[in-house]
Amino acid sequence: MNCRECVEHLYEFLDRELTPELEREIREHLVDCPPCGEQFDFEELFLKFLRARCRTQGAPPDLKRRVLRELFGE
Amino acid sequence: MAKSPEVSPPVDEKRSSFEREALVHLDVLYRVALRLSGNAADADDLVQETMLKAYRAWDQYEKGTNAKAWLLTILRHAFINEYRRRTRHPETVDMDTIEPFAVFPEIQDEDPQGAFFDRIVDDEVLRAIDQLPEAFRETLVLSDVEGMTYQEIAGILEIPVGTVKSRLFRARQLLQAKLYDYAVGMGYIKGSPA
Repeated sequence: MNCRECVEHLYEFLDRELTPELEREIREHLVDCPPCGEQFDFEELFLKFLRARCRTQGAPPDLKRRVLRELFGE
Repeated sequence: MAKSPEVSPPVDEKRSSFEREALVHLDVLYRVALRLSGNAADADDLVQETMLKAYRAWDQYEKGTNAKAWLLTILRHAFINEYRRRTRHPETVDMDTIEPFAVFPEIQDEDPQGAFFDRIVDDEVLRAIDQLPEAFRETLVLSDVEGMTYQEIAGILEIPVGTVKSRLFRARQLLQAKLYDYAVGMGYIKGSPA
């Protein structure tokens, strides 16, 4: 696998959407190729950052009460 | 002789399975509703309406399958049919004309670990997501915030898996570019504005 092919699958790899075989080929390339490794690390960090920043918010307690009242008359 | 315990009436079974499988996703529904509608009042109404519709249709849902995806499909339909018209207009942006901009080459010498991200607060990230075109925004939220698979997203948005991939790629690049621009503007990183 060359760098272009590897980067083409970057997000599918990080999203765990690849076949085990392709995933293994990418892992092997990343071990041999520090520049691709750095780019994958950066993108992985970005996705973790997004998730951490955006999941802190949940439904307001009032909404939960409203839904329960509406559904079950409570 | 003691009476045998009464069998729970079906209504209680319906309620308990709904609580167990559907109500546990209230936070997910609220976050997605908020990003779709753009304001808390509409997000509240949208979630409430989704839960009502879901409860009425609960017999049609095959228990133990994928309640989260099923609920999100209902929510999205409710949004398109009843809310989008009066909240946000669907963009007429030609998504293929949006130039991809890769941030990594810009920062790889100065900050290859992306440490500048740590300085960007939640509200700024959410604001940047809200500025994405709707088709990108909903795909990104389902994937990157709620962790759904390509297949699940394709089902909810009623688009092919290949379209999920390409939207996700563009959405992430656009969002990175926005956050990078913001970080440069705030002086968190030298760079050059995207």
